[in-house]
Amino acid sequence: MSASFTSKWSIAGRSLLGSLSNNLLGAVKTTHEVIPRLHYNSIFSQQQRTFIQMRTNLKVVDNSGAKRVMCIQALKGRRGARLGDTIIASVKEAQPRGKVKKGEVVYGVVVRAAMQRGRCDGSEIKFDDNAVVIVNKQGEPIGTRVFGPVPHELRKKKHLKILTLAEHIA
Amino acid sequence: MRLEKCWFCSSTIYPGHGIQFVRNDAKIFRFCRSKCHKNFKMKRNPRKLKWTKAYRRLHGKDMTQDSTFELERKRNRPERYDRNVTESTLKAIKKIDKIRVAREARHHAMRMKGKKAIEQQAAAKELEQSIHLVKAPAALQEDPSLTLPKMKIKVSQSQMEDRMEE
Repeated sequence: MSASFTSKWSIAGRSLLGSLSNNLLGAVKTTHEVIPRLHYNSIFSQQQRTFIQMRTNLKVVDNSGAKRVMCIQALKGRRGARLGDTIIASVKEAQPRGKVKKGEVVYGVVVRAAMQRGRCDGSEIKFDDNAVVIVNKQGEPIGTRVFGPVPHELRKKKHLKILTLAEHIA
Repeated sequence: MRLEKCWFCSSTIYPGHGIQFVRNDAKIFRFCRSKCHKNFKMKRNPRKLKWTKAYRRLHGKDMTQDSTFELERKRNRPERYDRNVTESTLKAIKKIDKIRVAREARHHAMRMKGKKAIEQQAAAKELEQSIHLVKAPAALQEDPSLTLPKMKIKVSQSQMEDRMEE
């Protein structure tokens, strides 16, 4: 039985590994790092985008004072945070006179992620970069403005304040 | 639910298909499949790729301006649901589709109009020039009618006899 299982795995392995929803073979931890990139010719844009995890640098898109933060913990998700999730981050770069200072530990909501996120109608959405809005523990944004587009997903996660401040909802 | 158009190839994107890419200037690019998405990432210009609608429209292969395209224009005001309007819209869609297809066929026919004549001329020329590929030159010398398709030449009886003697 194990022999048949391994043969099935080897035949269908490449196609299965290619898809994101790969939980059949529970041994595979994440689909992204493990994929053998055999058939890609290294064209500059063949990047596999992944979750937002520890050490991920994110851009801050509000006027709270911080410029860049580094994620130190994704609050939900074993593999990392995605679009719309909250993270704990450490401020790496900040504007001189702002509400947050460099070295502070803050909470943030991911408003743009380069990794595609599936929507309930079956389509997928992705953004150009990883961006975060700094919030307090209750989930309210510290800043008063949000720059750039934000996704609909925030409505489900009850980050309505961010949606009202946004200039464009994707 | 809205049927979108692929930014790259201009085909319709049905629900459940494709990827939306939102750029930081809030411009949304929708792709119907990964082929279009990958070409976009390679920064290819759809107007230069022969299989896209943009190329075909630009180079006059497909109809560009027509009144049947007015129905498909994007309208941003949501309509209040009215059963009669819905019914008449569905009927109109079918009819307009038929008309559009007929017009496209006509456009194609117009485009291909002079083709047969050109092909015939080219074939005749080729026959004249390259007959040596088909028949050996010795055979050509014997019987002059092997060179060209039979043409009626008015020859007097005496000239025919002269030729036969040669």
